[in-house]
Amino acid sequence: MATLNRKDYIKRSAIWGFIVVELAFFAIVGDVMSVSDRTFLSLDNMLLLLKQSAPIGIIALGMTIIMINGNIDLSVGATFALAAIVLLDSLTWPFMQALGDWAIPLAWGFALMTGVVLGAINGLIVWKTGVDAFIVTLASMLGFRGLVFMYNGEQPTSHLNWTLVDFAEAQFLGLHTATWFLLGVALILWLVMTKTVHGRNAYAIGNNREAAINAGIRVGPHFMLNFMLIGFLAALSAVIFYSESGSVNPNDGMLYELWAITAVVLGGTKLAGGYGSIISTLGGVIAIQLLRKGLGHIGADTQTVNLVIGLILIGVLFLDRQLNRQGKEELKI
Amino acid sequence: MNMTTRMALVCTTALLGGAAAAETMTIGITQNNVGVDSYQTTYEKAFIAAAEANPDVEAVVLDAGGDVARQIAQMEDLIQRDVDAIIIWPTNGEAVIPAVRKAHQANIPVVVTNSNIAEQGFDFVASFSGPDNITQGSRAAEIMCDRFTDMGVEGEARVVQISGQPGYTTAIERAKGFEDRLPEVCPDVTLVETQPGDWSREKSQQVMEAFLVKYDDIDGVYAGDDNMGVGALNAAKDADRDGIVFVGATNFAVGYEAMADGDYWGSIYQSPVDDAEAALQTAIDILNGEDLPFLNYFDTPKITQENMDEFEKPVF
Repeated sequence: MATLNRKDYIKRSAIWGFIVVELAFFAIVGDVMSVSDRTFLSLDNMLLLLKQSAPIGIIALGMTIIMINGNIDLSVGATFALAAIVLLDSLTWPFMQALGDWAIPLAWGFALMTGVVLGAINGLIVWKTGVDAFIVTLASMLGFRGLVFMYNGEQPTSHLNWTLVDFAEAQFLGLHTATWFLLGVALILWLVMTKTVHGRNAYAIGNNREAAINAGIRVGPHFMLNFMLIGFLAALSAVIFYSESGSVNPNDGMLYELWAITAVVLGGTKLAGGYGSIISTLGGVIAIQLLRKGLGHIGADTQTVNLVIGLILIGVLFLDRQLNRQGKEELKI
Repeated sequence: MNMTTRMALVCTTALLGGAAAAETMTIGITQNNVGVDSYQTTYEKAFIAAAEANPDVEAVVLDAGGDVARQIAQMEDLIQRDVDAIIIWPTNGEAVIPAVRKAHQANIPVVVTNSNIAEQGFDFVASFSGPDNITQGSRAAEIMCDRFTDMGVEGEARVVQISGQPGYTTAIERAKGFEDRLPEVCPDVTLVETQPGDWSREKSQQVMEAFLVKYDDIDGVYAGDDNMGVGALNAAKDADRDGIVFVGATNFAVGYEAMADGDYWGSIYQSPVDDAEAALQTAIDILNGEDLPFLNYFDTPKITQENMDEFEKPVF
């Protein structure tokens, strides 16, 4: 039992150990190889890192719950783009312009609502048809992206509002607006997953769906709620990001679903469901952004960064499997 | 080795008394999407080569991979690293404006390269380095007029135009340059109709098919780029209509090949190497305190069947 706990402990803290290794690596190598005078490990740079982790991070936190359920959501990138279009386009509607800056919270509301509705569509289909979430969200990924292109063709949808930009660029207690949202969402979801019935049900369903149904958990509505939640979070991520940038390309958010899943898996959540943690996902998100940022700092190009992240992902999964196998063998003895 | 030479240089200059001038400048660039086409790939290679050839320049070369979020993060990183100047090839002419403003607020001059950002951001940009689409259009008009004069039809020639995608500044400027210049050089040539080809070869072929049905007498076709020009050429070939002068506003490999075959008359040569070197030079000039025009264009010469040997085949 004691060894199991130790192993569990290693697995849970592995991602943070990895982050420390990354930090040490970039601090040492970065100072030798970079042409920059600034050190990589400065406080400002780390605060920036958290801010830059937010767009994919907020989605990945929601993805953790979906994956603990044993589901997956591939449509988050398209939801992200669609919510962004609603946010920016709604600000140009005549009645909204008449409202002045009061239009901003309303536009946020519209965008978040869009995310919830799109998530509800996914959830409802998964619930009522029983088709695997992978297929359902693969279809809705294509469908939602189609809507994005129908909205404005190949053209970007733009509305630059400096009040919005100033809000998104603001720093409170040193942390950027986006960071506050990332940490806030992480805290709330951590509480939900560890302290509430909904959180315990999520693990139970992921572990054994049959048993969960027999225990009286209403799996369909539970799924639907979680899909609405991740739709909301994808929209929230868009709201925070596009408040700052003010223009969305129709292909924005593509591959975000895969980056989010990568972060979740790096954080140790099982693809099969039933195991995972919000805090570890936060670690996974930071680890990816740290890699991107650090490799950029020492002058590696984008392709190299993707290659390294891919290799590390395979390494993590291999390590995870080895740890589990040894655990089973030990139990037999 | 390189390092020691540079150190030696710095020391010598310091001894001579003019230390400030020899200080290296760090210039960061965030590009749009390097892997996506060979223009951008060649641009990056040329930029790195130009930066390495200049001992006073340290370049930080980044690529946004077409992702706006990553480009904004790269802008923030470059500001954080306190580079001396930033060159940006915008992934989205509006989305990067706040990031450009941030650099401006941090007193880092920003050079926009290749395609400009939206006008709201002009206040935060030190200079734009790229091709002048108006000049490209007016030079295309000159090529067309010269050819008509050689053929002796400058008194009655009729021209149709296939423009780029509506709404794109590039498309509007290339059309405007042509439309303004043509009556100046060849006052008796008439532009009978303009239709958009949306930068697409297929669409342009359809547009040209319609033109050929509508007009029995077409002497010249002006297209916003060679891709569309070759589409129009294909339509004319299918309809067995020859003797038409085809001129584009940016030379592509397909146009160059058609020129070599003798089917296509001329275009405007825009080199990614010139584009990259101009961007770096603009940033260096700004850091040296030189006065530059806000729109700092690099030269895009005329290319026709007559002088095409002087140019390499475009990579895109």
